[in-house]
Parts: sequence; structure tokens; C-alpha cells
Amino acid sequence: MTEAIEAQGLTKDYGNGRGIFDLDLTVADGEVFGFLGPNGAGKTTTIRQLMGLIHPTRGSARIFGLDCDRDSVAVKRKVGYCPGELPQFGGWRGAEIVAYVAGLRGDVENASIKALAERLDLDLGRKYREYSHGNKQKLALVLAFMHKPLLVILDEPTSGLDPLVQQEFYGIVRDARSAGSTIFVSSHVLSEVEHICDRVGIVREGRLATVSKLEELVGMRAFHVEIEFADAVPTEQLKGIPGFEQVRVEDHRASGILRGSFEPLMSALASRRVIGLVSREPSLEEIFLTYYEAKP
Amino acid sequence: MTLFRIALKQQRTGLIAMTLLCALGGVLNALGFVQVAGTSQVERLAFARSMEVLGAQLSYMLPAPEHLETLAGYLQWRYFGSLVLILGIWGVISSTGSGRGDEERGLVEQWLAAGASRTRYVATRVLVFIAVATFAIVAAMVVTYVAGVSAGEPLPLAGMASLGIELLVTTLACFGIGLVVAQLVTTRRAAGFGAAGLVMALFLINSAGRTSDVGPVRWLSPFYLYERSKPLTSDGALEFGSVAALTVAALVLITLAVTAFVRRDLGGTAITRASRTSRPSLDPSRDPLLRIPVVALLRQQWLWLITWLVALTALSAFLASIIKTVIDTLTTSSTPVMRAYFERAGLAGYDSFVGAIWLSTLMLILSAYAIVQVQSWSADDAEGRLATTLSAPVSRGRVIVERLIALLVAVGIICAAAGTAVYLVTTSQSIQIDGSKLALATALVVLIPLAFAAIGQLLAVWRPRSALVLLSTITVLSYFIVQFTPLFGWPEWVANLSIFSLYGMPMGGVVNWSGIAGLIGVTIAGTIGALFAVQRRDVGA
Repeated sequence: MTEAIEAQGLTKDYGNGRGIFDLDLTVADGEVFGFLGPNGAGKTTTIRQLMGLIHPTRGSARIFGLDCDRDSVAVKRKVGYCPGELPQFGGWRGAEIVAYVAGLRGDVENASIKALAERLDLDLGRKYREYSHGNKQKLALVLAFMHKPLLVILDEPTSGLDPLVQQEFYGIVRDARSAGSTIFVSSHVLSEVEHICDRVGIVREGRLATVSKLEELVGMRAFHVEIEFADAVPTEQLKGIPGFEQVRVEDHRASGILRGSFEPLMSALASRRVIGLVSREPSLEEIFLTYYEAKP
Repeated sequence: MTLFRIALKQQRTGLIAMTLLCALGGVLNALGFVQVAGTSQVERLAFARSMEVLGAQLSYMLPAPEHLETLAGYLQWRYFGSLVLILGIWGVISSTGSGRGDEERGLVEQWLAAGASRTRYVATRVLVFIAVATFAIVAAMVVTYVAGVSAGEPLPLAGMASLGIELLVTTLACFGIGLVVAQLVTTRRAAGFGAAGLVMALFLINSAGRTSDVGPVRWLSPFYLYERSKPLTSDGALEFGSVAALTVAALVLITLAVTAFVRRDLGGTAITRASRTSRPSLDPSRDPLLRIPVVALLRQQWLWLITWLVALTALSAFLASIIKTVIDTLTTSSTPVMRAYFERAGLAGYDSFVGAIWLSTLMLILSAYAIVQVQSWSADDAEGRLATTLSAPVSRGRVIVERLIALLVAVGIICAAAGTAVYLVTTSQSIQIDGSKLALATALVVLIPLAFAAIGQLLAVWRPRSALVLLSTITVLSYFIVQFTPLFGWPEWVANLSIFSLYGMPMGGVVNWSGIAGLIGVTIAGTIGALFAVQRRDVGA
């Protein structure tokens, strides 16, 4: 069976360690694949090579068996693309932009455009320059999905979308997948790809660090927790809680990284007078660093 | 200081281009005068008489001539009379860029977020423009003075200084107009069109006032105030009231623009309109033209295309209307050097002068059209539109070819309309013009912008950020070569370096088919180069 995406030694070297290096990656047909990494890790560079917009320094990538560089026109018949950096269309109306791009594609049904605009609550009658960042992002999503492509490549697609529209976007991805499409989505937020992805590849400093099924990454997921006690901090008890790492204590406050379930921590705190508890999802870089620091 | 440095950097291209253009224009006009006007008093007076008759016909463009037997009088009329409009348009381009272009690109928001006040931001941009305009004008004056000295006819120093002051305040008044218009619209393009149209209207009001009474409205034109002084022929004397009025106008306009900028919303205009409510639309545009290759490119810029079409057709009709008198004046010139110049340039009969006056103007303006198109192609890449196009199943080669075909169609339509206007106007004036010769010459002129566009495509792909400057330089050099080769008797190989020279003079006699083949060759070579280069480059890099 032909893979949707297959990269072999794919490299784009911009010098000074910038770019993407020796990327070996396979995405199966029908899969939703998350491509995770901090800003500047090489996600967009990889995607632009898949789209044939930039040429690899060495190595190659294939989409449905077609070379992304040599056969880029044939590749793009099968692909929908949402860029990370939104283009500038100035005084064009949204309706004119979609009509123009639909004309270039030639295989787009108006009903499909209308359905997407409706789901994303996008007014196509307004001028592009009047759109907010979120509306420009919605238009980019319409352009990516409107021709029902076999593969959709999305570069940080939820940037600028409010939570309600994000939920609608997840729905669109799930529907596309049900219809047989493969989705390749980049992000720098782990919790985002958890909603939609089967597998996740993590890229860091231009190199693919790991590719795992989502459930394998659950162990990687972590929260930064800060607890304020009314009395002295039970330091030893906290250090003994499974999954609670890097415990730091200052006056009546304790902080640390919690992996896995909150249940052991909450049980331990039940007998204590807790004034406040704050947890937040750390950045991917923080998770990544702590994950690899923790591994032997 | 950082703000000042960055503003100066943004003006760098304009500064270099305008300094070179002003200086080169001064030198070539000064040396050209000495070549054509002769050296004896008799020759000079005969030349002046011919030019004065011609000047009356060119009153739509140039001020009334005075002391044309001297280099100072000639330059004041021929060179500085047209330079003031060029500087005014530069002022408009620069002010609309400062007043609206930076805002469109989000730079103003960044600066204001970084703590710069709105007043400081605009004041810095104004000060930087004053600095670069002063530099370009001073450079032009110095170089022209040196050219005059080397030609053995030094120009009056006081007159040059006074003229420099006049040029500067007129340029600043036009800058102020552009800055005010930029506060009233939301895009740089609209500001540029609006302000350039206003400046041209003020220029034409003054032009009309030279031959008829237009009333006190003429005082509104900065160009009228500019030409009230004739410092080069009056020992540097300035009409103080006019210079003061220009200075006050520039200050008032700039203050008005700064006030409007401080009060209005970023991205908004100084004129608030009642908000409109309309039902949201979920449908794509039903315009079928947007979905047809090539036609879609023309459809996107239809307003722009119609503006060029109307403007060039009107200009062509106007030039055709004055052609008979101009030709009669020039061909009866008693200046032997001028007659020799016409012979060297192959000018004889109405047909050839139609080619020399109308077609040479047309090809220059169409080259400017090609340059503007090349600039928009470079912007397509920088602003992500090219990546959007290429994310559809469209090859890079198709993009290059479609752009050229769209340009060919647009220029073809413009030329057809302009050529028809010339034919109708000239025949209505009983000028015998060979229709088939005019049709062929008009059709062949299309090759000029096409050749520039092909070179521009190559430059836009190879060096997108420098494409505009490089192509403009090639165009200006080509124009100067074709203008001055017959004047200075330069060898043929120098003439052939100009794209314009390759066109030849099809209205004057036999078509230069080898030159036409050269133009086609340049177009093909540029296109093949662009097709090759576009395959290799990274989009958006």
C-alpha cells in the first residue's frame, strides 16, 4: 500500500544549524499525524518542502508515491494546504479569493465552500483586509479543505481561532478523516494534537526526536503545579507522590512537574490545609526537556 | 535615532534613483544644448526662435520659455520645468508610503507599541524625506553646474541656489498633499492614485492657465507658484510671495496630516462613516472571469487597467492634436544643427514625427506599466500570494507564462485604443497618415513592454527585492541612450544597447526587422531565463 507521506533523509540546511536535517518519516494513508515542535524547530520548513515550495538540500519526500519536488503539480492535485504565515490579499473579498483559487483547482463544488464557510462562521462578502487574524485563518482553512483533498497539510491551523471555532475545526478534521483523507498537522501545543491525532512526531532543533502513538505520549504529558499551604510544606510527603517530580519548596509554597494522574497528589493533599493550587500545561519545550532529563 | 535610521533606510532606493536621475538629466540636457544650439550668436538666436514656437505647443507640459539662447534659460525651461513634476510625484510616492504603506505592513503598529509617539513617528518620516529630497536636489544642482562649466557656459550660482530652494519647497508641498490624502483612505494604492491624480490635476490647472484664463484657482497649484520665479534668468531673484506660499502650504498640509494621524484609528481614515450592516455571505463569487486562466489576472486589476487605458488614449489623442503645429515648427527651423539632428534621427514627414513624438512617449509610458507589473509580481512572492497560487495544481512555469500573456493582452488593448485615437485625430486634422503603417507600428510597440516584462520576470525571480530598481535603471538608461545617440552622434552599437532603439522607426520608413527580432529575442531569453530560475528558487525566500 502506498504511504500518504514518505520522507527519506529530507534536509533543508539554511546554515548555522537552522532548517531540518535527515528527516525520515512515514505517514500512512488515512492517518491523522501531528507534527510537534517548538517555534523554529523546522516544522514549517518541512511542510514547505512537502508542498514543493522550497527545494530540499538533500534527501527526498514523496506524497502518494509522487516526488514532492519533481512532481509537485501532480502532488498538489491531491493535497490541500493551510500555510502557517497567511498571505496578503489586500482589497479582495473572501468570495473572490475562494473563487480564484477554486478556478486554479477546477474541481471545487460551491456547496463545499458554502458548507465550510457556514461551519467556520466566515463571512465571504467582506474584504480580506477587514478580516481579523482569526477570520484570515478560517479562510485559509476553507481553501485547504474545499476540494476534499486526499491529504490535508496544515501548518499551525488553530492559530488565532477562538475555542469554539477550534472545536469546529477538530470536527472538520474528523469528518475529513472519516471521508478517507489523511491529515498532517503541525503544532507547538501537545494538548491540541491530542484532540485529533493518531500518531505524533516531535521535531526539535531541526531533527525528528521521536514518533509515537498518542497513547505512548501520555507519559510525556505533564503539568506544572504550584501549591500554597497554610502551614509548613510537607516536603517529604510531596517527594514521595508517584509522578510528582522536580519538587521545589519556598516558604509555604511548593512547586513541581506532575506526570500522569492528579489522583495521588489530590489524595496526599486531602489531609492538608491548602490555600491555593494552580496547574498549567507547560510549553512543549519544557515538557520535552523534563521528559528527556527524566529518562535514563 | 533608531527611528530616523530606519526611515532613512526605507528611503534609500528612492534617494539613489532620484539623485541619479536628477544628476544625469542635468548633465545630458546641459551638454545636449551646447551640441544643438550652436556656438555663434546667430545660431543661438535662431535656435531660441524655433524653441519658443515649440514651447508654445508644449505649454501643456513646460513653462513659458525665456532666454532660450542661453544654457541657463534652456535648462530653466526644458529640464527644471519638467523636473519639478518628477520631484512632485516622488514626494507623493514617498508620502503615501510613509502615511499608509508602512501602516498596511504593520510597521506603524510595531513602532507605536515600542513607545514611539504618533507625532514623533510622522515627524521623523517628514524630516527624513526633507533630508533625502534636499540631498537629491543639491546633487542635481552641483552636477548640472559642473556640466555647465565643462561646456564653457557656467550657470549663475545664485540662480542655481534659488532654484534649488524652489524645487525643494514645491516637492514638500506635493509631499504634504500625499500625506493628507493618505489619512483619508485605507490603502497605499488608493492614497497613491488619489494623491497622484490630485497633483496631476493641479499641474494641468497650471498648464491650462498658461494659454487661457482659469481664474484664481491657478493659485492653488504649487506648479504655478513654482514657475512664477525664474531665478536662472533673473540673477537668482525669487518671487518671495510664491516661495513663502509654497512653504506655508507644505507646513499646513503636513501639520494637517499629523493632526489627522494622531486623531484617527490605525487602519482607519480621518473621515468616519456610519457603519453599515449587511447579511453575511457564504457563497464564492459567481464572477466567471475569476476562474479563467489569464483572464483572472486581468479581472483582478480591471480598475487599474481601465485607468491606464483611458489615460493613455486621452494622452494619445492630445499629442496627435498638437502634432501638426509642432512638426511645422520644427521642420522649418532655421537652426542648421537642429536640421542635422532631425536628419540623423531619420525624421522627415508627418509619419516619422508621429513615430518620434507619440510612439516614443507611448513606449516609455508602457515601459512604466511593465515596471509596475514587475513590482506586483515581486510583491506576490513576498506577500504569500504566489505560495497560495502554487498550493493549487499550478506549475511555476505556468505562473510565469500567464503573467506575460496577461501583460501582452492588457498592453495590446491599450495600444489598440491609443492607436485608434491617434488615427482619428490626425485624419481629422487633414494629416495624411498611412493607416496600415500606423497599425503595424502600434502593434510592434507592444514588444517593448513585453521585453521589459520578460527581463523583469527574470529579475523578480532572481532578485525579487532589487527587481524594481534594476529594471527601472535599465529603462532609464535605455531611454537616455535613444534620446542622446543622435544628439551626440554615438556609434550604432551604443544605440543598440537600448531596448527602445531596437524598435526602430517603423513610421518613418522601412521596419527594422533585425531590431524587432532582437526585441523578440530579448523577450524569449528573459522568459526562458525566468522559467529556468523559477524552478530553482525557493518560494518566499
